[in-house]
Parts: sequence; C-alpha cells; structure tokens
Amino acid sequence: MLEFKTSKGNMYALDYETGIFIPFSKTMKAILNEISNQKSLSKKNVIEILKKDYDEEEIAFYYDWIKKWEQIRVQNNGSKIPQNIRASDIKDYLLKSGLNHLILCVTEDCNLRCKYCVYSSSYEHTRNHSDSYMDYKIAKKAIDYYLSILKLGEIYNPLRRPSIGFYGGEPLLNFKIIKDCVEYIENKYKEYETQFTITTNGTLLDKEKADWLMDHDFIISVSIDGPEEEHNRLRIYSNGEGTFNDVSKNVGRIMDVGYEKIFSIPVFDWKSDLFKIEEFFNKKDVPAALTASQVDYWAKTRYYEQYTKKDYLNFQDQLKKAKIYYFENIDYQRHKEKESFFDCLVGQTPGRVLFDSQTIIPSLPIMPFTGSCIPGRKIFVDVCGNYHMCERVNESFPIGNVDEGLNFEKISKLINEYVGQMDKCPSCKIKKNCNRCFKHFMVYKRFLSSSKVCKKVYSLMKDQFVDIFEIAEIHPDFVDESNSKHKNIKKYYGE
Amino acid sequence: MYFRLNPECYFVRGEKCGAIFDLITMKIYALTPQETKILTSCEKNNQVLEGLNFLNELKKLCLGNFYKHKTYIQKLRIGAINEESEVIVPLGFYRAFLEINNSCNRDCWFCGFYGIKRSLGCMGCNKWNENDESLTLERWKELIVELKDLDCQSIWINGGDLTLEWDKTMDILDYADGKFINIIITIHQQSLSEEIVKDLEKKANLVIQTEFENIPEFNRIYSEDFNYLVVVKPENWKDSNEIASGNIIKDFVIEEKKDLENLPTRVKQNFLPVTLDEFLNNVEYHPCLGHSLSIGYNGNVSPCPIMRHYKFGNVKDKGLYTIFKESMVDMGRFWKLNLDEIKKCTSCEFRYACTDCRALEESLTGGLTDKMLCNYNPQEGTWL
Repeated sequence: MLEFKTSKGNMYALDYETGIFIPFSKTMKAILNEISNQKSLSKKNVIEILKKDYDEEEIAFYYDWIKKWEQIRVQNNGSKIPQNIRASDIKDYLLKSGLNHLILCVTEDCNLRCKYCVYSSSYEHTRNHSDSYMDYKIAKKAIDYYLSILKLGEIYNPLRRPSIGFYGGEPLLNFKIIKDCVEYIENKYKEYETQFTITTNGTLLDKEKADWLMDHDFIISVSIDGPEEEHNRLRIYSNGEGTFNDVSKNVGRIMDVGYEKIFSIPVFDWKSDLFKIEEFFNKKDVPAALTASQVDYWAKTRYYEQYTKKDYLNFQDQLKKAKIYYFENIDYQRHKEKESFFDCLVGQTPGRVLFDSQTIIPSLPIMPFTGSCIPGRKIFVDVCGNYHMCERVNESFPIGNVDEGLNFEKISKLINEYVGQMDKCPSCKIKKNCNRCFKHFMVYKRFLSSSKVCKKVYSLMKDQFVDIFEIAEIHPDFVDESNSKHKNIKKYYGE
Repeated sequence: MYFRLNPECYFVRGEKCGAIFDLITMKIYALTPQETKILTSCEKNNQVLEGLNFLNELKKLCLGNFYKHKTYIQKLRIGAINEESEVIVPLGFYRAFLEINNSCNRDCWFCGFYGIKRSLGCMGCNKWNENDESLTLERWKELIVELKDLDCQSIWINGGDLTLEWDKTMDILDYADGKFINIIITIHQQSLSEEIVKDLEKKANLVIQTEFENIPEFNRIYSEDFNYLVVVKPENWKDSNEIASGNIIKDFVIEEKKDLENLPTRVKQNFLPVTLDEFLNNVEYHPCLGHSLSIGYNGNVSPCPIMRHYKFGNVKDKGLYTIFKESMVDMGRFWKLNLDEIKKCTSCEFRYACTDCRALEESLTGGLTDKMLCNYNPQEGTWL
C-alpha cells in the first residue's frame, strides 16, 4: 500500500495489487500489521490485541473489510521479470490492437529554430535538424505496407480505421509529398476511410495549403504556445524573428471558416506565463488546446540549464495558482464551450489518474511493467524509411523499415531488453498506475534501469495523489465526469 | 460527520428507491424510500444529519464507514475506462449463436415455427418457417476460424434437429474444439442416444431440450452431467418449482398478457446475484444482446436467434468481419441497448443487475424498448 494524507486529514492508500485507491486509517494500518505477521489471526484476536489503542467497532469494520477486499486482490501479478517475450505474441497483439497510426516524417528540415526543439543541440540522444526530405517512393512503400498489414489485421479488428499523419521537421516544407500520398491513398485505397493528420508550425499554412488540407478532412495540430510574447519567446525563425503573426494569420483564416478539426498543441517551460496562455486559449478565434506539454526534461537535455532555481520556484508557484484559479472557477470551467490550456494542464489530471489505470486485471504479458505501449502501435517512419516506435523517442531503436516492414524479432528483442531493465517494477507500489514509457528510460541504444530512473517516484506520485484527492474531496462530481461511461450510475442523485 | 459506501459498493438510485450492490459479495440491498434519501445525501458528500441507525447497520454489514471529513471514494472497476475511439479498440465480441440447420421431423407445440413466445427460446431448438439454403460445412468451418480471430469466447450451437445432420455437426464441433472457452450445444431429448452423448464428451456442454410435461421420461434421462432446458406452460409454472436444480433452466411459455401476473421470471425472490464484471458490463451494454450475435442456418446475421427480422448482413458470401465493418452502427444499437434505454427499466434501481429478453419483450409489446415482463414498479418502489 502506498499511503498518503490530504490536507483535510483524510488518509488514503493505493492498493498496488488492484490499482485502486482505498480509504485508509491508522486502525487499518495496525490491523494490516497484525495480520501480516500472523495470517490466521481471527477478528476476535485482532480486537483483543488492538482494543487498547483503537475503537473496537472500527477494528471490527476494517478487519471485515480487509478480508473482503482480499478476495479481489490479484496475487503475484507482475511480480517477476518475464524471461522471454516472443515475436509471434507481439505480432498477434499488434494485428489485433496495434497499428493505430502511421506517421511519416516527410522532412527533417524546418524553417523555425524553436528554442526547445527536441531536434536542437540541447538534446543529447536525438537527431539534429537536417535538410533531408523523404522520397515519395519511401512514403508509398510505407503506406502500402501499413495498409496491407492493417488488411491482415482486419479479421481481428474490423472497426480499426487507418490513420496517417505527416510530421517533420516542418511537413509543409514537403507539401508535394503530402499531396501525392493523399491522392495515392484516395485512389488506390478508396474503401479505407483513412483519417489524415498533420502536425505543423503553422507558418507555411497559407490559404492554398489550408484549403487543401480542409478539403481532405485533415486533423490539423498547430504548434501555438500562447499570445505573441509567449509564443515568440520560444518559437522563432532561423533569423531569430518571432513567428506569431504568421501563424496567427494562417490559423485565423481556418478558424474563420468554422473548420472544427484544428487544434493547438502548446508547449511551456519555467519562464512561461501560464495565466496569459490560458487567457489566450480561451479566445474564440484560437484553436482549442489539445495538450499542454512542458518542455521535455527526460530526454537528456541541457535545456533547463539556462534557468535558475528561482525560475523553477516561480513556475511552481504559478502552477499552484493555476490549480487554485481553475478549481475556484469550476462551474465556469465545466460549462465553457471549448477546451482551454488549463483544462489540459490542470483539469484533466484527476480523471486521468483515477480512470486511466489498469485496475484489477493483470498487465499485458508482453508488457508487464510501466505504461509503455507495444512498439508497432504507432509506426513512425523517418526520411530514410526506417521504422521507429514513435516520434518522441530517439532513433537508436529501429523496429523495421519500408523494405522489410515491421521486424517483430527486433521488437521482441527491444521489449526483452527494456523489461530486463525494469528491476524495480516487480515490487513497485504504483506499478498499475505507472505512466512512464520507453522515452523515460531510453538513452542511445540502451535502457536505463528503473531503479535508477524511478528513484523519487513514490514521493512524486504521492504529491500528485494528494493533489488529486484534495480536488476530488471538494469536487467529486467534476472528477467523476471524466468517466463519461458511468454517468448513468448517478442518475436521480440530484433530486 | 460523513458516511460513504466502500469502493466495492455501488449505490444505484431508481425514481423512488435505491439499492446497494456489493460487487465483492455479490449481494444486493434494496432500500426503502427513506433509506434511499439518507444514502443519497451521504453519497453526495453531505454531512450526516439523520438515519444514524440505518448507517450504523450498513457499517456492520461492511458496506460503508463514517468519516470526519468530506472524502472521495474511488469505485472498484476493472481495467481502464478506455476513452479511445471505438474505431481503434478491438470489438469485445464474446458470444455467438450458430444455427447449424433448420430441419426437424418433430412437430413440437412450443417450436419457434408456431411463433410460441418463450422466455429462453434462443437456447432451445427451433425450426423456422423459412426455406433458404443452408450454409455449407466448409463455410461453417471458415466461420469458426473467423469467430476465433474476432476473439469470440463462447459459441452456442443449435438447430433444427442437429442429429439429422450429425456428421456435419460433429465436423463443426471437431473443428471448433480448443478454439473457444465454452461450446454449448442444444439437442432435443428425443433425439438423444448414448452414441450422441459419447460423441459430445469433452467437446461441448450439452443442453437437453425437453418440456415439463415429459417429467416422467425426463426423470429417466436426468443426469447431473448435463443441463436441461425445460419448457413450462403457464398452468405448470407453480408446479415447476418441484424441479428446482442448478442444471435445470426453465423456459417459460408466455401466451397472453394475463399470464404475466404469475410469471416467476422477474420477482424479488429470484433476483440473481450480479458480479463485478456483469454489473459494469450492464452499465454500458444490454445484459443479453451486448457483445453477442447470431448466425442463422442461411447465413443471416442477427442480434439473437429469435430476433430474426433484424438482419445485419449475410455471411454466405462475405466474411463476418466485413459484416462488423459494414453494420457495426446497427449492431451497436442492440449491443448498447442497456437498461437505461428501456422505458420502464430506466427508472429502476436494479437496472444493472437485471436480465432482459428483448426478443420476447418486443414480441409481447411491439416496441424494441418496451418492457412487460417485470413485476416491479420502479415509480412506486413496489413489487406486484
């Protein structure tokens, strides 16, 4: 059990065998201590032992409840590091539940030099900017392979629709290949109902390109970090000039025609003014925020070396104020028309922690630890045609290429190496709630062990759990709204 | 002081009353309107102002506890609440009825051929007034593979009289062997022989179709190794209590609306315990139609063997996965017809613990979302 206490004085614990948070108390802790020493102790015995220090009724209640709860605890779930995860099992899994996105990195070139870019020299294990462009032949091979393997998987998962994304660098620098790919798919694979996506910096999104993307029903994700001052602080052209005005003009044109599949993907760091960003994303003519990402500090970066401890503390202070502001105005937040920056940064966290964890059921045998996906869930294709597990990892772990397709043996080797490094996981108290994945453990061509990476994980997670439960104690309905599938359970509560 | 139910105890309110579902012990606690009011207030995180005796009783039953401060109770659930788009996640297709043939030499009075309304007609053998060509053995074998690929876990094989095409049936069973968690086959009592029972050994769970009026003969063949589906006429409903046993399933014939008063299918006394899986499934899906479909002898795919007038497609010339692809919206209508969607059940506190036969309800009422077979009035909180 991982115990924690909210400022109101309520005790809770995360039961790591079920992944469920339970109400906790000193009495319960004392009983657990007693029965862990001597399992056969009866309720009467336990009451006798503890009645001096604890209320008898409470002892009786918690004893009964612990015994009841034990019936659903999955013993020894994920308590060992598996010896060998087979390629055939990975293939079976992916045909059924993977292959969700093909992402084509159509160029490594970019007309911007954003200060936090993961492809800048601030990051040790990722590629740098280059002037490489993907050849259409490579893109076509990747598309043919993806759609053919999806076809193979259709007998297992007939409802899965292809999703093909264009990524960079700045993908609009290679707009021709995007057009060629889409036309190719729409001619050759008409029956597939492919969903297209693009992640762009927005500076090249002129009327012609925007109209074309909208005509083909693209989901357009634009990197907008906030109002002009905020955006231009970090998102600049290679000549150092800010990009806000160009992005704003291009995006405004799309918003004006009422296109709904356009979103912002803001990034912030310790110097960001979170409140100004929030104000900006509440404007009607700005695309709704889809995420709120802090500049990555996992991928061996020197980025934060430019900031002082004071910057960090100021940022933490802002974050705290943002949470207070958000929940003080909860009614407004719940009923506003579109998702804002604070929704992603603050509002969605309790729901994610409380409802996204895999409770009760055992972890996937092929990924027993951490929240990692199975490589092949996404296929990220670099300009040379090599396959990688996603756009967020370095390129030292390829999982195939356009000529051979997904290499399940390589994926198996990769997972076995990864799982082999998860030495802390079998005994970890938050294993069912873990949201870490490959990128958190990955360095060049190898993985760090979880005992190294997760040193402070309990205290970090405890802090997060306290935050979430303090919110949930005051706003239980708001938190439960994140679980839309169970909304009918509370029917008639309001009368 | 506050009182909250434990994580494993769900409180479901009906229009008038509420019920507590303990999803570990699988016990259901029906509450009075006053108790419902008290617990509603507690579950809304209000201070305890009344009903201390009642709440203490709940504590003694290990259903909930008192807290000094407002507290948040995370409810017990299974897996993540997957918000991923349904165009990505696999189907969750668990059960298929396979109607291997539509031939029978008998003329049973309760047969689907005569449109007899039965509470479990889907499990029994039926000959339908249809003359389509049957699917070939080869196609059935292909379908077995398709079902396995789609992760279907349980198949229910019925007919017609399967013994008229026993070689075909056995070929299908042999082919299905080891591919599913559960294989069930229904055969009429009069068609059974020792050879047939032997053939089925370790390959399928046998359900023997019989009727209450055959009780003397039934006693002769009765064995605890099999399950029995016993058709019971309204005049025998009370007498049928004599044959209560775990492996006897009673299939009540419902001919007229007036019969319903005595119908023992949905009364307070025989509410079945609900598991955590079932409860959470019923919150989203229809308790019977959810995750299920039927493939007729002619290849027609329908929500269940009885609701034949709804067709999602035909597997004669296309793969089952294609039917899913083309008709999932229609199928989803039936799968997601949870009891919140059923007119009477929507206001009932037992809606996630209850069973429901949509085929029968529709044939009795004429409406897909109407309900007749229930002796509970959720508006008043009273049993008839």
